[in-house]
Amino acid sequence: MTQTALTYQSIDDTVIDTLAPPDRNYWVVVALLFCGVLMGAVCWLYQIFTGIGVGGQNNPVHWGTYLINFVFWVGIAHSGTLISAILHLFRAGWRNPIARAAETMTVFAVCTAGLYPFIHLGRVWMVYYMLPIPNQRTLWPNFQSPLMFDVVAISTYLTVSSLFWYTGMLPDLAAIRDRATGLRRKVFAIISLGWTGEYEQWRHYTRGYLFFAALATPLVISVHSVVSWDFALGVVPGWHTTIFAPYFVAGAIHSGLAMVLTLMIPLRKIFHYEKIITVRVLESVAKTIVFTGLIVGFAYGTEVFIAWYSHNIVEMETFRWRMFGDYAVEYWIMVVCNTVIPLLFLIKPIRTHIKWLFVISIFVNIGMWYERFVIIIGSVAHDFLPYAWGLYRPTLVEFGIMIGSFCLFFFLFVLFVKHLPSVSMTEMKETLHEGGAHAD
Amino acid sequence: MPTDRASIMGIFDTETQAASAIRGLHNTAYTLERVHSPIPSHVIAGAMEAPKSKVGWFTLAGGITGFFAGFLLAAFTSARWGMIVGGKPIVALVPFFIVGFEFTILFAVFGNVLGLISQARLPRFKQDELYDPRFTGHKFGVLASCNASECNGLYHFFEAKGADIKTAEEVQGEPGQPPQGGPTP
Repeated sequence: MTQTALTYQSIDDTVIDTLAPPDRNYWVVVALLFCGVLMGAVCWLYQIFTGIGVGGQNNPVHWGTYLINFVFWVGIAHSGTLISAILHLFRAGWRNPIARAAETMTVFAVCTAGLYPFIHLGRVWMVYYMLPIPNQRTLWPNFQSPLMFDVVAISTYLTVSSLFWYTGMLPDLAAIRDRATGLRRKVFAIISLGWTGEYEQWRHYTRGYLFFAALATPLVISVHSVVSWDFALGVVPGWHTTIFAPYFVAGAIHSGLAMVLTLMIPLRKIFHYEKIITVRVLESVAKTIVFTGLIVGFAYGTEVFIAWYSHNIVEMETFRWRMFGDYAVEYWIMVVCNTVIPLLFLIKPIRTHIKWLFVISIFVNIGMWYERFVIIIGSVAHDFLPYAWGLYRPTLVEFGIMIGSFCLFFFLFVLFVKHLPSVSMTEMKETLHEGGAHAD
Repeated sequence: MPTDRASIMGIFDTETQAASAIRGLHNTAYTLERVHSPIPSHVIAGAMEAPKSKVGWFTLAGGITGFFAGFLLAAFTSARWGMIVGGKPIVALVPFFIVGFEFTILFAVFGNVLGLISQARLPRFKQDELYDPRFTGHKFGVLASCNASECNGLYHFFEAKGADIKTAEEVQGEPGQPPQGGPTP
């Protein structure tokens, strides 16, 4: 097994080598992504100055790509916490090489998701209406609304995942400081908070890290449950169902794990992490994707079954239309990409083949984006009143903002991998070591 | 530290050697000052025999504060206008419990961070004299102090445990010989 060749020093060398000054290709990629971010920002500015009507949201579909992307990015964030917190509590050693990158993905995905409520507001300067501040009539936000649950949950999730990410990085920042010179040494001395690996520091750190993981676990489940209640608490066919919370949580982890593969595979190749992020690690992610894919498939089936079993004609019509109506193509893309294609991972040669892993992860990402499309658009476009039925297509402005948000996510991630350790050196050393006591 | 005290850092390749030195120090008159390691180690933790960290109490206090802060914020804001919304009571337990839950996690994490940085005494930007940069990489360090007259003994103690040795004299540019002072144990 390749991991036996690793030593403490080789782990440090491999990870710290990734922080060497980048070549021109790197800056070209950064520049291209930045252009994408600028394009998104220009589209948003155009919307602010022209009005929210430049987007395609209108009667009866008021929640279009802005909400689709919001839910998509919050979902992407979830697997980072699954890997860093939940698998940590379960002592799944295979998560160590990818935990840092997955946590980073969480932070950047929540940041990207957090932009969409601002974008969707239209009048973004009224954003303080979402905060618990009374207006001139001493009227406060309504905390009985699931939208306010969302504000509280997403802000908590961003704060907690950022602190978890930073705290987990402290020993590695100190390791970089101790090998750096000049300005970089000074910067890392500050951001490592003077960490020296003293036993007293480890004693409190491991305890604190354990509590972080224990707190992040219920948080991550609550956050996507709360996001699901944005829909489930509305009396809309296709939304008003009790399975939404577990269905959304499973879907979030499904999409997030796929994004982990999408990011890890190029990272592994570019930074020569083959000895650290082994095929076995990627294979474990693939196996978990099979599991989450089955849960998601079960949820799709349950929705249709309950609609039929309820004898509720509105509910039955909603699901008939989803499967065979105007958005049938989107529905079947969702089903095939999320539940059928991941089953290919049951075949060992496929789940241990890097190209297959990458390609299938892209299909799952696409499928999960369409899942949000089908849920959000598919219900309000075709609800109780036939005369109010209508179709929705995103406009170019929405596409611009969407592409901009994808570029923003990858832009932040690409900057991260060249400036901070993208693999946790400490946790990798623990993987080598039987005496490791992380979070014990 | 009084001026008649001296410190010596033993630098080890493995945690087992470091733990052996720590256990050995417990049985001598030398004072164990601190231990450095690149990973959190069960073996060293066993040798140190230190009590459990108190960080959890900070976390618990934060969590309890957070629950009441969240629930009471929602109840207070709702009570300010006393307007029935969606047929629910003014102080609706189920939705406000969700706000309370999120605040519980948020404040518990704040408490956790506060506990961690206060207990671990971070940030600390002044580096200790005998600190070695390899401690964050691949070496384990055990710092012990003794009366100046017993330095030689401590030096040989670490040597017998298989350590590379770092003394204040070396740091100040006089490497080589063990410090003068007293017999070996």
